[in-house]
Amino acid sequence: MPIRIVTTHLEFEGQVEEVRVVLEGEEPPAWGPDTPFQVVGKPTARVDARERVTGAAEYSYDVQLPGMLTAAGLRSPHPHARISRLDASSALAVPGVRAVYSHLNAGDFINPSSGKPVFGNELLYHGDLVALVVAETPEQAREATRAIDVAYEPLPFVTAPDAALAANAPMVNTAVPSNTISDEYPQVYQRGDVEAALAQAEVTIETRMETPAALHNSLETHGGAASWDGSRLTVWSSTQGVFGARQQAAAALGLPMTAVQVITQYMGGGFGSKLGVHRSGLLAAYASRQLGLPVKYMLDRTEENLDAGNRPPSVQAYRLGAAKDGTLAALDLAVIHNVGANGLWSSPVALPAKELYQCANVRTTDRAARTNLGTLAAFRAPGVVEGIAGLEVAIDALATELGMDSLELRRKNFAERYQLLDRPYARKMLLDCYRIGAERIGWETRDAEERRYPGGRSGHLRRGIGMASQLWGGDGGPPAQAIAKLLPDGTAVIITGTQDIGTGTRTVLAQIAAEELGYPLERVRVELGETAHGVFSPMSGGSMTLASVGPAVRMAAVEARKELTEVIGQLAEAPADALDIRNATVFNRETGAEMGGVSTYLEQLGGHEITAKGMRGPNAEDVTVRTFGAQFAEVEVDIGTGAVRVVRIVAVHDCGRIINPLTYSSQIEGGIIQGLGFALTEQRIVDERLGMVMNPNLGDYKAPTIRDIPQIDIVLLNEPNVVANTLGVLGAGEPPIIPTPGAIANAVGHALGKTVTRLPLTPDRVLDMLSTTTERS
Amino acid sequence: MRPFEHLTVQAADEAIQALAGGDGGNTRLIAGGTDLLPLLKDGLVNPGRLIDIKPARALRHLTFDADGSLRIGALTTLAEIERSSQLAERLPLLRQSVVDAATPQLRAMATVGGNLLQRSRCWYFRGPFDCWLKGGTVCYMRDGENKYAAIFDQGPCRSAHPSDLAPALVALDATVSISGPAGSRTTPVAEFLAPPTNDERVEYRLRPDEMVTEIRIPAEAIAGHGVYLKAMDRRAWAFALVGAAAQVTILDGKVARARLVFSAVANVPWRATAAEALLVGQTLTPDLAAQAADAAIAGASPLAHNGYKVPLARELARRAILAAANLWTETN
Repeated sequence: MPIRIVTTHLEFEGQVEEVRVVLEGEEPPAWGPDTPFQVVGKPTARVDARERVTGAAEYSYDVQLPGMLTAAGLRSPHPHARISRLDASSALAVPGVRAVYSHLNAGDFINPSSGKPVFGNELLYHGDLVALVVAETPEQAREATRAIDVAYEPLPFVTAPDAALAANAPMVNTAVPSNTISDEYPQVYQRGDVEAALAQAEVTIETRMETPAALHNSLETHGGAASWDGSRLTVWSSTQGVFGARQQAAAALGLPMTAVQVITQYMGGGFGSKLGVHRSGLLAAYASRQLGLPVKYMLDRTEENLDAGNRPPSVQAYRLGAAKDGTLAALDLAVIHNVGANGLWSSPVALPAKELYQCANVRTTDRAARTNLGTLAAFRAPGVVEGIAGLEVAIDALATELGMDSLELRRKNFAERYQLLDRPYARKMLLDCYRIGAERIGWETRDAEERRYPGGRSGHLRRGIGMASQLWGGDGGPPAQAIAKLLPDGTAVIITGTQDIGTGTRTVLAQIAAEELGYPLERVRVELGETAHGVFSPMSGGSMTLASVGPAVRMAAVEARKELTEVIGQLAEAPADALDIRNATVFNRETGAEMGGVSTYLEQLGGHEITAKGMRGPNAEDVTVRTFGAQFAEVEVDIGTGAVRVVRIVAVHDCGRIINPLTYSSQIEGGIIQGLGFALTEQRIVDERLGMVMNPNLGDYKAPTIRDIPQIDIVLLNEPNVVANTLGVLGAGEPPIIPTPGAIANAVGHALGKTVTRLPLTPDRVLDMLSTTTERS
Repeated sequence: MRPFEHLTVQAADEAIQALAGGDGGNTRLIAGGTDLLPLLKDGLVNPGRLIDIKPARALRHLTFDADGSLRIGALTTLAEIERSSQLAERLPLLRQSVVDAATPQLRAMATVGGNLLQRSRCWYFRGPFDCWLKGGTVCYMRDGENKYAAIFDQGPCRSAHPSDLAPALVALDATVSISGPAGSRTTPVAEFLAPPTNDERVEYRLRPDEMVTEIRIPAEAIAGHGVYLKAMDRRAWAFALVGAAAQVTILDGKVARARLVFSAVANVPWRATAAEALLVGQTLTPDLAAQAADAAIAGASPLAHNGYKVPLARELARRAILAAANLWTETN
């Protein structure tokens, strides 16, 4: 196949980067709107459903090798402290304990992601790693952490971002002279003249939104199992990216990448916090190499909630100016990020303000504070969930000020083009999403007396309806590779280096291959989650897996089928282009004759397996690919108790062609439930006096339960986006969480006639809102 | 969790014998373990010996006696109370008090006796803080993250009692039967649960060599009607922000007996006697219920972050009083 090196552009969570990729051969033409399908688009149960529900599926947590040791971490009980003494002798005397690692004996072990030692003697936050015990059983390891004799010298600390950025603030890390991320902060984006436009605007409003730190609480905690055999390292890592994990593990241990294999067959949730191998996985690898035995280190729930990242708190201040007819004239946003002790980046909270509405005068200012708290991690649409909540609540407040319907205000300020680069969108179905969602939720009757007051005006229930918009990338891109092998027995194997992080990747890739091969789904096996195959795929993040890997799988299947018909044509003395394959059976398209199963021919090849490569082609240039959508929420508030019940959510998202309506719906439901938690119940609580996290567990950190989940009404648009890639798909991982908190906040605002300024809307906050905030009309 | 010895007994007297040899609290009984296991894992208790009393079937029963009183064995699970059709009919307050407690899995294991012995959920008590309740000198809750704290001041500790069942039992004038080496004694639940003091930093009064065997509810209390209302910050698996148990007997159109008891507003279930006194002898009306609810929260001294509990307690009290008399509707 002809080989080319191509430069293209890839967007990942608001950042566009240029990439050079190697391409072999040509991608097939895109599936059009009228392409007929046998497997694609059909609701299909997960191909690994049985393993998952019976417990047969082996997660990293489940890996158990002969002689395997277990590690447990000792965590800092201070927000900022220096270790003044550490004596592990009592811990080493606990039966079964093999090693205790700390800065004293493992200070030269460097985390390649940060370039810093994994064990330091300055602890930067509650939950920072003090020492690691490795023992024969988990119980011994955990117990021995208590036997380590440590003396801490407490240091001044700061947890509030504005305090951290103030003059004379305590240094979060005494080795770093500033509490901001870098001298690139504050980051300012502007177009037009915001101050002049605000001064001239007929109507102006100011709103504020404070969002909490949310913890991922992946059901499978971070970590991994590692086995060093003297020359090669194998890591079973709970990761969203096996290739990235391999690179980190190799760098950390000073090994060539070829000496490291990473395996992730099943993964219990990551939501962005598992984009690498995590230092828990690195520690398992380090200990295995030191001790010459397999070692597993999976965080316990407390460690997970202190040291596995978070959606960082944001404080957003908006100033909007508009003409009386609703035309948006100015949008000013100032954000303060709290990125934790070691944050290297801040989330794109300001992305929606820059892009969602047509506005000539926009300024966004991002300030980022490091604090003595756990470091941020990507969390399902990082920044944009928070930013949409802030912006869409501000838009509702503006609509109230203008006396306009808020949906009408949004339509009036619809942005036709991508304003940051002044170029077109590949497609923007946002107005369709508005229309369909409004119809489903009954937007027209949202102010009707009987709807707003289910028990009458003297009753204690108030209902409200609110909505919020969604925008996101999700078009993926190269490099992503796949191999298709057609075996003599009439089955096919698809090999890719992606991983199924719980979204159903195995299933949708099998559907795509089955479709193009003309094989039934059960004859296609997808192998993924292993670096050993060398078939590179990107990490599963940024809603890019299907849109990146899917086209590569499709191309591999198309190429394999070409070879298959060629081979059959020669064996059967029939023209290859007259051959059709359906249900793994060969037909002569011209005569209609059935010519037997594919294995009849493949078995004649002396063990030869047809093998074909596929790869994701470059992205379209000069156009911005986006998914857009909207969610509408109906809530019921008990004004006597402050309890908010979400009654119903209508979700309308343009995610291109839907390969599998079942796994798509799972994504939408999961995103909405996670977003509902962010809106109503979830928050990391910090005692600011002590700098300590009060609720690093699943009891006090309140994720939604089944009873909190409303009726969820999912609209399948299923319109292929033929500009995006040859499948016409867009990612669906992140879009569904993006508008949920904003829609719920606006629904509560509508129910109470007030503007929401803080999330989550717990009963105490709602009762406070009812007693303090001034009413709006 | 430290290593410990584990043994099993078949009956209460065997358990008492085993406790007698258990030197000063080193031996602990375990039933459902829904609170003891987390306490063990967090290192808050470190017994050398655990005695499993689950096989003592005689302690697991719900019995209405001929005189109309109710006896509940200490090992009866919350799930058994929840599922009892007899209780649903004759004592809805008791059943309601458990239906939103914890989760189905926990209710299947958790026992009535253990429920009365559960420790504070205060995160300073449960977490790595040397708080007063654990023997330290400071109640961190007072000036700290206190949205879940008590609004009534009962002493050095500000933790709020977590039980949903206990306020219902107090509202039903329940007594608790306790066995020890010297025989048995009976004490009102309202006295068995007591605010921690300098000398006894625990929310109940039970010696290390004693065990709870039974709860009794008198017929006079059962004769009334009651409800338990619980406010939570999610719709399942949450301790009460505030809970209100009301049990009211109406004779000839007038309130003959009234009990109003809160969970989560004080160190132990908080009986609102002033509110009860306002109701007795009166015809129950929405206005009277509102007055009683006002009286119920008089004297509350909320902290920085739990002020919301005051109007919440008042509202739940108003609704519970009305609902106990079948006067509560969506429009009250």
